[in-house]
Amino acid sequence: MQNILVSLNEATRTVNSGSNKVTLLDTINLNVEAGEFISLMGPSGSGKSTLLNCIGMLDHFTDGGYTFLGEPVHSMKEKNRAKLYKEYIGFVFQAYHLIDELTVYENIETPLLYKNIKSSERKAMVADMLDRFNIVGKKDLFPIQLSGGQQQLVGIARALIGQPKLILADEPTGNLNSKQSGEIMELFAQLNKEGVTIIQATHSESNAAYGSRIINLLDGKIV
Amino acid sequence: MILNYIKIAFRTLRKNKGYSFLNIFGLAIGITCASLIFLWVEDELSFDSEFEKQDQVYYVPTHQEYDGEWRTFNSTPGPFAEAMKTEIPGIVKASRTKHRDLLFSVNDNAINSGGRFVDEDFITIFSLKFVEGNAKEAFNNPEAIVITQETAEQLYGKNAKAIGKVLKVDNTENYLISGVIENLPKNVTFPINWIAPFERWSGDKEWTNGYGSFFADTFVELSPEADFNNVDAQVRSLLEKKTGDSDSKAFLHSIKDWHLRDHFENGKQVGGRIDSVRLFTIIALIILLIACINFMNLSTARSEKRANEVGVRKAMGSGRTRLIFQFISEALILAFMATLVSVLLLFVLLPQFNLLIEKDLVLGLSQPFHIVFLLGITLVCGIFAGLYPAFYLSSFKPVEVLKGLKVTQGSANYIRKGLVVGQFTISIVFIICTILVYQQLQHIKNRDLGFDKDQLISLNVNGTMIEKFDVIKQDLIQTGAVSSVGLNNSGILNGGNNGSNLTWTGGTNTEDVLIFFRYISSDFLETAGMELVEGRGFYENMAKDSTSVLITESFAKLMGEGSAIGKKIDRGDVYTVVGVVKDYLFDDMYGQSDPVLFFNYHGEASYMYLKTNPKIGTSDVLSKIEAVMKKHNPAFPFEYSFVDDAFNAKFKSEQLVGKLSQLFALLAILISCLGLFGLAAYTAEQRSKEIGVRKVLGASVSGIVKLLSKDFLKLVGLAIVIAIPVAWYVMDNWIGNYAYRIEINGWIFVIAGIVAIVIAMVTVSFQAIKAAIANPVDSLKTE
Repeated sequence: MQNILVSLNEATRTVNSGSNKVTLLDTINLNVEAGEFISLMGPSGSGKSTLLNCIGMLDHFTDGGYTFLGEPVHSMKEKNRAKLYKEYIGFVFQAYHLIDELTVYENIETPLLYKNIKSSERKAMVADMLDRFNIVGKKDLFPIQLSGGQQQLVGIARALIGQPKLILADEPTGNLNSKQSGEIMELFAQLNKEGVTIIQATHSESNAAYGSRIINLLDGKIV
Repeated sequence: MILNYIKIAFRTLRKNKGYSFLNIFGLAIGITCASLIFLWVEDELSFDSEFEKQDQVYYVPTHQEYDGEWRTFNSTPGPFAEAMKTEIPGIVKASRTKHRDLLFSVNDNAINSGGRFVDEDFITIFSLKFVEGNAKEAFNNPEAIVITQETAEQLYGKNAKAIGKVLKVDNTENYLISGVIENLPKNVTFPINWIAPFERWSGDKEWTNGYGSFFADTFVELSPEADFNNVDAQVRSLLEKKTGDSDSKAFLHSIKDWHLRDHFENGKQVGGRIDSVRLFTIIALIILLIACINFMNLSTARSEKRANEVGVRKAMGSGRTRLIFQFISEALILAFMATLVSVLLLFVLLPQFNLLIEKDLVLGLSQPFHIVFLLGITLVCGIFAGLYPAFYLSSFKPVEVLKGLKVTQGSANYIRKGLVVGQFTISIVFIICTILVYQQLQHIKNRDLGFDKDQLISLNVNGTMIEKFDVIKQDLIQTGAVSSVGLNNSGILNGGNNGSNLTWTGGTNTEDVLIFFRYISSDFLETAGMELVEGRGFYENMAKDSTSVLITESFAKLMGEGSAIGKKIDRGDVYTVVGVVKDYLFDDMYGQSDPVLFFNYHGEASYMYLKTNPKIGTSDVLSKIEAVMKKHNPAFPFEYSFVDDAFNAKFKSEQLVGKLSQLFALLAILISCLGLFGLAAYTAEQRSKEIGVRKVLGASVSGIVKLLSKDFLKLVGLAIVIAIPVAWYVMDNWIGNYAYRIEINGWIFVIAGIVAIVIAMVTVSFQAIKAAIANPVDSLKTE
């Protein structure tokens, strides 16, 4: 039990669309162990993103149980939940979602601000990260001055800066060409080797192949 | 963290220059406006506030009843001050005073100087500070006079000792300077340049010693322990006891109320300038409100652009509180920049504003109070204007905005529309008020006064003007600049000398009617352009008219049916009415013409009136008059005033309201338009895709302009509907204060509505046309 990171027990997510109740995720049972690299696959609308968002606590299941590191997320208060994901989860988005008004350096630094880390410590951590991703020369540029691949690199650096246990990536290469895409996936594989747990949603078989386990979703159910 | 916010705020500002300009400039205008008003309010509130004994010093006016109505007068009988001091335990000091203008001359240097003859207590009541001499010995000599530092400087130059010098007064008398006091503060209700013992003025005037004449301005000081209500009650009954007349009651008027609350109606205090102060304070707050509304509108309108940032920050672990904090600090930074801009604006505008309101306000940024106040406004505006956007923006759900879903604008849209309606409602109310205030002022100014105020010059009588009246008159007319010259004991626009207890044939209860007395020379009526409706005017020879009087029409009405000519009036002596003069207005230009009784006697005239020739230029006329006056009355400087100027000065507070409401209507509209402009730009941008599709499907440019403008015009229309009853209610109240007033006309509302629509159209159509003529390919290509 010790190395189970995420545990879903008949987790369900429904929304009300007008008078209809639409089920987005249907009684999902899933255990994610630390160190896994899971690829979620399935056609558009199958519930990949919803599942990621719910695991990432940006969204929430409407029914069933969700345990994160042994803590029952489903019965947790909003405040504690925020504390939990701030501490352990990093996001990577398809559209990068960097803040346009901030430089590369400042974008990577942002999560640390919200964790109330001291200025000197922040500096060191961001410098490390820039170094590791080979983007020291670009630290004062704004997102708009970077290519898509570089932006996503910054996006991953930003997700990693808080030293999360789990990275959630929603089609991280969806906006990239195949060369950039390959580089990003290599990076994920590398990170996974270093011990970071990753769950990615993807349409691409070849990207999915980088993972240690593939989970197929269809109409909100694991198949 | 804070640094991060500041950085992002500045970058956002720089990136959206147009939006930032609208926001900062709109708010800056609001803050400038409010600051100007608050400077004025501060000045008004400062009157008399520098005197030390704020809770103890009172002025003593009297209410007097005539015909069932109480009128309020600024005068008390001579012995009343001493009586209060000795008979009412709570009153420890009292002083009679009489204001006079004296001519001081030192060698060739002569100045006219206003001051008061006072009792010794006056010095301590007002805590006058002596720089030369001292309070104890100042009045030891009956010929003493104490002057202010400023007067001493004017007479003897800077740093010269004035004490002990002999001062020539009115070229006839000598006064001994027994002390020099510090100048009074700038804002005082009763300014003085000098004080001298009361007896010096009252000396041989027997009538100043009895209770029959009300003439003195009386000031008292209460002991610190005294109970105001108790003392006031005693003051009220004491005058009644002394005069044996229940129709006069003296009362205490606090130093704190002299400037702001000096209107009395039927014996009750009913406000005064405090009404204007309140009104403009409210206006200042409203203008700030409009500016803040702008801010909120523009911030929430841009929400889509910021939504993504909110989503990312939340996903990065930011709580809502932090985002609220971030957006409020952004608003504060904007507000602070607006304040800096408005300080610049204030530097530029304050001199103009001073001209407009005829004051001498200073920005005084070195005063901590002003700085704190300005920062206070900044803080309140920033927080107030930033609060709603902050709560709104920070409420976005990251899952939705990051997915690129359209932000649901439901409530924000309504609130934004509501705010636009609010702004325009206020603007339209301002427009309507401006028009009505202007109309009312014109209405009063064009009122038939019963005399001709144009081309009429007034001189104060001094020196030998009465003795030499005939030659002066002759010489003046000979210059061709003056057509007629008349004397009067009272200013033509003033209430002046009055009394009751007269009896006459044909009247009932005549003793109770307040009659105004005028002692004039025979040609005064002609000079003033007054019309004789019946009988004859006065003879040039006063002696021949010693028992004849003229009356006004309203007096004639009091004498019953038929011609008043030949009827008798008893005022101790019996007079015969020889002529009836058309009613004319004095004192209260809004009220009715009170009855006037004219006597043919100019021996104690105070004013000389000259009717000038309109064909000759003003400066020419004045130099010709001056030459004559210099010749016959050389000791006195030539000082004059135009009656129409004095007339206009009577409407100072109305004119101020008029001018300021024009100014503020303009600014309110300007700020509202800035907001509307930004909002229209935003809407056009937001709907650019829709516009592109419509154009591809064949919509015309005019059709699209109409489409975009329609929504805004609906809002303005709604604002008009709300504004009309509000404006009607406010103005009906305001105009109701005036006895002589206009009817509110329906077309004013129509005009105000059209003005608002046109202004809104112009503002919106610029953006609408820009959007409509844009190439649809560009807008459809995006994404």
